[in-house]
Amino acid sequence: MEAKGWISGDESAKEMLGRVLSRARPFLLLPPLHRVPLRPRNVLEIVGPSPSAKTHLLIQAALTCVLPVDWNGVHYGGFDGFAIFIDLDCRFDIFRFSHLLKLRLASGSVSEIDREQNNNTIKRSSIAYDEELYTLCMRRFSYVRCYDSFEFLATLKTLHYRIQKEKAYGNCVHMLLIDSIGAFHWIDRASTCLPLRGSNRKSHSVQTVLETVVQEIRKLLLLHPMLAIATKATLFGNRAMNEAKCRNLRKPDTSYSQIGGITALQLPYREYMPSAWQTFVTHRILLRPSDDHLAVSDDQNHSVYFSEWLLPSLSFLDKFIVKEAGVFLVA
Amino acid sequence: MAPLKSLEQEYPILDSNFQSFCASHDIFSVEDLLLHDLYVLAAFAEQESSSERLKQGIAQVLSIIDGQHQPWLNGIELLEDAQRNKHVLSTGCEGIDLLLHGGLRVGQLTELVGPSSSGKTQVCLLAASNVAKKHIGSVVYLDTGNSFSPQRVTQFICQHSDPAIDQAKHRTLQKVMNNISCKSVFDIFTMFDVLHQLEFNLRSQMQGGDCKVQLLIVDSVSSMVTPILGGSGSQGHALMISAGYLLKKLAHEHNIAVLVTNHTVGGDGGISKPALGESWKSIPHVRLLLSCDHGGSICNVSILKHPSMAVGKAARFMIHN
Repeated sequence: MEAKGWISGDESAKEMLGRVLSRARPFLLLPPLHRVPLRPRNVLEIVGPSPSAKTHLLIQAALTCVLPVDWNGVHYGGFDGFAIFIDLDCRFDIFRFSHLLKLRLASGSVSEIDREQNNNTIKRSSIAYDEELYTLCMRRFSYVRCYDSFEFLATLKTLHYRIQKEKAYGNCVHMLLIDSIGAFHWIDRASTCLPLRGSNRKSHSVQTVLETVVQEIRKLLLLHPMLAIATKATLFGNRAMNEAKCRNLRKPDTSYSQIGGITALQLPYREYMPSAWQTFVTHRILLRPSDDHLAVSDDQNHSVYFSEWLLPSLSFLDKFIVKEAGVFLVA
Repeated sequence: MAPLKSLEQEYPILDSNFQSFCASHDIFSVEDLLLHDLYVLAAFAEQESSSERLKQGIAQVLSIIDGQHQPWLNGIELLEDAQRNKHVLSTGCEGIDLLLHGGLRVGQLTELVGPSSSGKTQVCLLAASNVAKKHIGSVVYLDTGNSFSPQRVTQFICQHSDPAIDQAKHRTLQKVMNNISCKSVFDIFTMFDVLHQLEFNLRSQMQGGDCKVQLLIVDSVSSMVTPILGGSGSQGHALMISAGYLLKKLAHEHNIAVLVTNHTVGGDGGISKPALGESWKSIPHVRLLLSCDHGGSICNVSILKHPSMAVGKAARFMIHN
């Protein structure tokens, strides 16, 4: 009977898991992004004051994206795809990217580089890497810079055709990286548009620009499954953190949940992005410089950064440093 | 941005029918089109009588929009451009050059932060004289505090030359001084004026010639921005960020090294911090902190921010009299 068909179901849980997991593998990115598995169509926001190694994390992600899984018998563990980098900060250093890529290629896996670095410093001229693979990976990195919101919107509107063109050549895009989504916040906030004709005309403001940005990125993610990562600089300073610190000093007997001395409900920075963007973001991680320094060798003193997952909210901090070969976790 | 009417001459497909269709959806210019969903617009166009022509018009507008952003580059092209054009300019000061692995990088905005009389203007004058003399390029010096001193620049230039033939020395001195153009600007609007004029000149200039601008110095950017910051409006911040982006655009597109100075203000707990606040922190590529010992001529410089070097790395230098 028909009713029985409703109850018996289409497939078992095992079959469903087998079907889903074979098609979409969760991404496991390098530390400190490794605690939460990220998939295509996730939107990760990396937020932190300046400087807190946000762009470095983007570069690490881009490197993982452009490297192949295996090449000539060496396992690189990359995603073998294109990475699209939209630079709104206009501060990207291609030399640093190239140097990191060469170090990754020369050593094969990340843990080896760490061991080598602790023994001696790597001289730039003596790195042996596969030239052909290097060129292939560099070509997979697509870069554009935008000097204002209009250029950013124009880039997003025409991005679909660009990705389609690449797909026609058999290359798929796995990552969309945006450096500093809040770069034009002040400029957009201050531009007032006098409505000329038609009272329904959309004025250029932070709300409309970001709503359009979210719309375009959502459409792109629907058509081309990729992971979107955006950095965001905190524009308003960490007054909340300082106030919490002062409160800590005045009442030494009160116990606070130890997330950098801030109670879990309070955000350690002031959110300035409109709600359209805030609801669009699926994952959020906060980076902060700490006051500690880690002495790696005699002359090098690396500052330690904290990373804390805000969405999903994990209740511990990771510590990492930025060395010549990239970002490494500190126990 | 251009109203759609003005595009009709160049693109006849954007005729009055297309314009009235767009007007019915409150779209009057290319800027409005950027804020609209073009797929939804195409769906509305389907319902019109001349749907084919309208959709062709939308496709034409999309290709116009494609020309509105900077070109796409891949990693190899970026690297080639950087290796060819974005070389390093020595500042003439050994300590700073060693710290920055060679000096000021073309295409980057370097900021010198320091309290008053910490040597910022001296470093700027030294860099200007060094670039004008050694790199055969011209320098544009925007002076906000009347601190540009031609005598000091002459001292720097004549420092290392031998005291031999006077006339030849005089001629080289003149040529080098001609390469430094100094402009006094006292408010941010004049600075925008000067920078836009510079951008226009650079864009319309032919390639080559040895009077190509290599270094742009703004001493100091904080004295122009601080009077307009503050208050509840966001105009001041917007002007500051726009100025920063204009400087970065000049640096990257026209292959110039930009050097700006900033002063310090009191921060939390009495520790001094750079002025201009949080939003300015993301503008410069490289931030250096200068400090001078009392009464001595030895100065300290340390890195506050650098795209590829650790924060806190320091060096000492001395500027000879």
